[in-house]
Amino acid sequence: MTTTLAGGRAARRQTMRRIRPRRSPAVPLLLALWAGAAGVLWLWWRNTPSIADDTGRILNAGRITGLLAGYLMALVVLQMARVPALERRVGSDRVARWHAMTGRYTLCLVLAHVFLTMWGYALQGGRSLGDIVGQTVDSVQQLPDMGKAALGTGLLVVIGLVSVGAVRRRLPYDLWYHVHLLTYAAVFLTFWHQISTGNDFAVEPAAKTFWYGLYGAVTALLLWYRVLTPLRLNLRHRMRVEAVIEETPGIVSVLIGGRRLHRMGAEAGQFFRWRFLAPGMRFSSHPYSLSAAPRPELLRITVKAIGDHSARLRELTPGTRVWAEGPYGALTAQRRSRGKVLLVAGGVGITPMRALFETLPGAAGDITLLYRANSTQDLALWDELARIAEERGARLMYAVNSPDGERPDISAERLREKVPDIEAHDVFLCGPPGFAQSVYEALRGAGVPARRIHHESFEM
Amino acid sequence: MRKSHPVRRVVLTAAATVSGIVLLLSLKPASDPSSAQAAGGALPQGGAQAAAGTTVTGEAARTQYGAVQVRLTVRDGRITGAEAVQAPKGGRSDQITSMAVPRLNREAVAAQSAEIDAVSGATYTSAGYRQSLQSALDQVKAGGPGGGSGGAQGAARTVTGDVARTQYGPVQVRVTVSGGRIVRAEAVQAPKGGHSDEVTATAVPKLGQEAVAAQSADIDAVSGATYTSAGYRQSLQSALDRAGG
Repeated sequence: MTTTLAGGRAARRQTMRRIRPRRSPAVPLLLALWAGAAGVLWLWWRNTPSIADDTGRILNAGRITGLLAGYLMALVVLQMARVPALERRVGSDRVARWHAMTGRYTLCLVLAHVFLTMWGYALQGGRSLGDIVGQTVDSVQQLPDMGKAALGTGLLVVIGLVSVGAVRRRLPYDLWYHVHLLTYAAVFLTFWHQISTGNDFAVEPAAKTFWYGLYGAVTALLLWYRVLTPLRLNLRHRMRVEAVIEETPGIVSVLIGGRRLHRMGAEAGQFFRWRFLAPGMRFSSHPYSLSAAPRPELLRITVKAIGDHSARLRELTPGTRVWAEGPYGALTAQRRSRGKVLLVAGGVGITPMRALFETLPGAAGDITLLYRANSTQDLALWDELARIAEERGARLMYAVNSPDGERPDISAERLREKVPDIEAHDVFLCGPPGFAQSVYEALRGAGVPARRIHHESFEM
Repeated sequence: MRKSHPVRRVVLTAAATVSGIVLLLSLKPASDPSSAQAAGGALPQGGAQAAAGTTVTGEAARTQYGAVQVRLTVRDGRITGAEAVQAPKGGRSDQITSMAVPRLNREAVAAQSAEIDAVSGATYTSAGYRQSLQSALDQVKAGGPGGGSGGAQGAARTVTGDVARTQYGPVQVRVTVSGGRIVRAEAVQAPKGGHSDEVTATAVPKLGQEAVAAQSADIDAVSGATYTSAGYRQSLQSALDRAGG
């Protein structure tokens, strides 16, 4: 078996497609989110004839924060349900950022809700603010479902703590991930007190129905897309490791065999979450992009061996079973709106760019790939790229450090010089965060509109 | 890939949320003028007036949100007091009940009939109230036009105990005594608001049953409602003292 995976039929088919840009559904989805929040506030408004005093104000602030938190909690889970419209159209990276933002905000609302409500109850019972702890203990003991809610809130706080950037970076990924899974338990535990003590749900049967509907729909989507869909995918395609190939020092490709892999619907530029059923690896899954268009019996991912997990990939033995979830990611040909495309790859960011380079539809001269690496030895997959460039009449350029270690000049002027009509291109960009940021700025400086720079970033 | 400004974003989000909530709260009126009046007028009614006359209880009227049952105090053929023995409870119903019932009580006394206006925002409760009020009035009529004392429950009288203060609010018990026996005990006042509603809703009916069963103030405290139980006993004792044993 050679390392080259170019020239498959699936790849050729993709190059023949017409350019059909599809808009990301992000804006309508965000509008729906805001409409839902407004609806929740309206529910409160309708059920609150008057607020008599400060105690009332505090309690009602507690109710508002509680209602919003309950609403957003469902969305936080929805954002991680791997719904194709979100993962493939909005983009997994963007949805993950939404998830992190919504999650943090929701946790703050939950804490505000607990504090305000207990404070209000304390005032109502003639206690002082200082006795809020005693009040909380009493309320947890006396009110229905509050024991569960307290437990759930405790879990949410723990999950929030381990997700704080500084803490998260210090924790092993697996530990963080498994603590994060407790979110489902926390959401379940906190759900019931909303229904049983929530004023608005007690009086408005319609609101209660809506709430059950919201949480029920999210649960259904979660089961469908996170459990049943992957189950079906893996039962159908039965993937196993075929070979592990060292492309350059530190970059390995894993070839994965299976049945009818071209039917998985993966497009160039997308990734799967991979779980290798080998000792020490089976409990966590990691996102790696396909580095070539899938063939009926073969897939390839190319990975830089830096983290715990990726370093272990080299030790995979052929025959190891593979569990995959996907395809995910929106950095595909769909994003493209123009005939001309510039692909910019930094380091192992070549992976999705390599697949796009081969499959993006375009005549000779339409496609350009700029590949940045530390040295020419680090240009993984170069032979393959050169062959594709030759076959397709595409341009291939690289930029590496000079022998004395000086970084290449990737400035607006230099880009314009190398790609004179750069402003007429769609640009696909993939690389480490610092690199991506500086190239983005250079591209903007060279006159490429922001909406035509397509980038995927998993930085929070 | 616009530059992100995490601190700015946090500050803006927090400011927007806080000001949004404050705005919403400030847009709500401090109180419904009518309910404020009612609250002021309702208290004396429960005490002196009701204690003297005869009481007649109407049939419970079912509404979508719970039963409504009206009890009238009749003296010399006139309605001198009206109160709801039962009214929708729980969640928002508490708010509606506390707003609407005092108004309906005053209307009933003022109209001396069941032809009273519905309280806006409490349509179902008002309808149930009118229905139960009518049935109470029918009983008064059946008992004889001149005085309520000849009615079905004519021999009964109500005595209201002193208010007992507890940590969670006042408790005041009213007992209905007939033929020297306590036939009914109920709380005119009990701790309200927040989780007190829950506690009151579970404890007060139990305490009432206990009082009827024990025929004295020597009743067990309801677990989880220690303060309310203690206040209840205290007020019950004072009512029994007043009733003459």
